[in-house]
Formats: sequence, C-alpha cells, structure tokens
Amino acid sequence: MKLGVLALGLALSGLAVPVSAHHSWTAEYDSKKPVTVKGVVSKVEWTNPHTHFYVDVTDASGKVTTWNFEMASTPALERGGWSRKTLPVGTQVTVEGFAGRSVAERAIVTAFKGPDGKEFFVPKLGN
Amino acid sequence: MKRIVVAAIAVIGLTAPFVTQPRAQELPRRLGGENGPKKAAEVKRPAPRLADGTVDLSGIWTGGGDAPIPRLLGKDKLDALMMPWAKQKMASVKEADDPYFYCMPGGPLRITGGFAWRLVQPAGERAKYIFMLQEGNAHSFRQIFMDGRKHPDDPSPTWYGHSIGHWEGNTLVVDTIGLNDKFWLDSAGTPHTEKLHLIERYTRTDYNTLQRVVTIDDPGTFTKPFDVTYTAKLGDPDSEIIEYFCIENNQWGERTNANPTAPSLPVAR
Repeated sequence: MKLGVLALGLALSGLAVPVSAHHSWTAEYDSKKPVTVKGVVSKVEWTNPHTHFYVDVTDASGKVTTWNFEMASTPALERGGWSRKTLPVGTQVTVEGFAGRSVAERAIVTAFKGPDGKEFFVPKLGN
Repeated sequence: MKRIVVAAIAVIGLTAPFVTQPRAQELPRRLGGENGPKKAAEVKRPAPRLADGTVDLSGIWTGGGDAPIPRLLGKDKLDALMMPWAKQKMASVKEADDPYFYCMPGGPLRITGGFAWRLVQPAGERAKYIFMLQEGNAHSFRQIFMDGRKHPDDPSPTWYGHSIGHWEGNTLVVDTIGLNDKFWLDSAGTPHTEKLHLIERYTRTDYNTLQRVVTIDDPGTFTKPFDVTYTAKLGDPDSEIIEYFCIENNQWGERTNANPTAPSLPVAR
C-alpha cells in the first residue's frame, strides 16, 4: 500500500495533559486532533523557546505539504540525547502529534520515529 | 515515496476501527523524560559548608518557583488577601497574555521547572555577591549583594529589582524591592504593583534540597503579607546550564495563526 492513510484520530476524554514550562500547548494545539504523518525532514530549526522540524509530505497526486512540527527547547532535547543532527534534512520520519487549532499542519510532536522505525525521545510537551 | 498521510481527526465518542491512543501522557514515563537536568542521586548528607563554616548553597538546581500561588495557598485564601482591583484583574487575565510567553523575564519569584539554574556563591573576599544564573525563561541572572549595603532610596523599578542578602544561621535571607509591575507573579496571573517587597529564605535542608520560603508583601495588592513555600532539587553534578534564548524563534501568539511555512523570526536556518 502505497497509500497513504495512516492515521486516525481519536478521542481523548478526561486525560490529564502534562504541565508546560514555556507555555500551554493546548492553547495552540488541539488534543482532540491526533495526527500521524510520514514524510521527509525538509528543515530543522534548532532554536528556542522550541525547536521546529518541518516535514514534507507528498500525497498520491504528488502534491507536497509542509508540516511544521514543534518540539521542546534545545536544552530539553540535548538532555534527552538529541543534537541538531539527530534527524537531519532528508531523513524519512514518522511523526505523531496533535494538529494546530488554527492551522492543522502546524502541529506538536508526541512521538518521533526514524526511517528504521527507531523511536526517539520526546520530552514533555511545552518546554 | 513519501506518502502521506494523515490525519485524522476525530471527535470524542467516535468509534473508529483503529484507535491510536495519544501518547503524550505515556511518553515521559516510558522514556524517562524530564525536561530539566537530571536530579542528583539522593544522598543522606547534610548541606555542605565553605571553609569559613558558611552553608554552601551553590550548585545546579531545578524547580523552586513553579507552582502558581492560588494552588500553593488555596484560591479562597488568596482571594481573601487580594484587594478588589487585584481580584478583578486576576479574573480578567487570559493565559495567552502572560508576558512570559513573549519571552519577557518572569521576575524573581518565578523559577520554572524544566529548566536548570545555578547558584554561584563565591567564598572568602569575593563573597560580596551571590548570583543566580537562570537558563530559562529569559536566560537572565539575579545579583544579590552580600556586602551589607542597603537598598537605594528610590530605585527605578526593574524586572528583578534590587536584592540584598544576609545570613541568619544556616538560612540565606534575600530582601528585594524596586520591582516593576510588568511581569506576572506566577502562571495564574497573580497581580502585583511596584510596591512589591519580597523576603526569600533559602535553607538547604539536606544535601539535595533547597527550601525557599517567600514572604510576599505588596500593600498595593494584598491586605497583608503572606508566605509561600517552594522546593528546588539539586541537579546531577554532571549537568550544566545550557544556552536558551526564548526570543530567538518564538512562534507563540500571532504566529499561531500564521502560515505554517512562513518564516518566523529572522533566525539563521
């Protein structure tokens, strides 16, 4: 299957969300909109307050959509074993997260897998 | 090839054939995630001392100023302490308006978890200052004068104010005035005025623990002074504070509504 759909959403009811350090992620992202995206890293912003991984996703018709995935701060990621080169531009990745409230493709990461399915540490949301 | 995919979006109560549990809640536990420095291994030792016998508070710490005041005190108790304008103001603030989210300094009270901070306590003749070097949120420092000087008569209000310290037994007492009213005291938006006067008492109750009792005195906001207590934990000795400039690429606020591929701030990419 070449196809694309992987994902599926779900309902979350009543789950407690982690407390944030920089800001409350639920203001920007919708905990009722979990997403799973498979694509290729097209840009890494190794920046603060948060890092951003841009992932290009190509659909069956060849149309490319760029997702902006937000992750924790560089100190939090470095303490979790990451560097700016951990998932460099060109890497095939699968990202799980929650879609943005205003722009779905601006999402926050809850799980990050490399090309071989290896899972990378994802710090608590918000810092 | 890169295929897609996407998204699904579902609504509460939807019964879907596949259920992808959101993982935010399980990840930190499963992968051991803490965003701040690892905590130091617990040791049953008293607080260390400098050669002259002074308690040594130096080290890398995490936490110690995180919890919002209404949670520490109880909302009713805080309400009873607040003047009417303050109650009104606090009821009207929105979380999204917190200056902290725009990378402004959080003021002296707010040492947020998820970041490290280092207390630098020079010994001997250099013991004129104590510094608190804060990784987040504004990557700033507090300077505490330990040489016996007094507060200036009429300091221009600043984000961290003017701090003088002295020792009472094993407790470092830090007295701060000259604070501006531009920051929130906590994430709940507890208000204050430029009359704010803080008295912090730092006690290293054991090797790994720094207790911080703060008297909040602001006759412009509260009907009487009150105390809140925080606890910082010692970070792993191998951990360090790490550079963190919040202003670099903050996409909070207006940028939330921006095109996801639009450049944010002009950072080097």
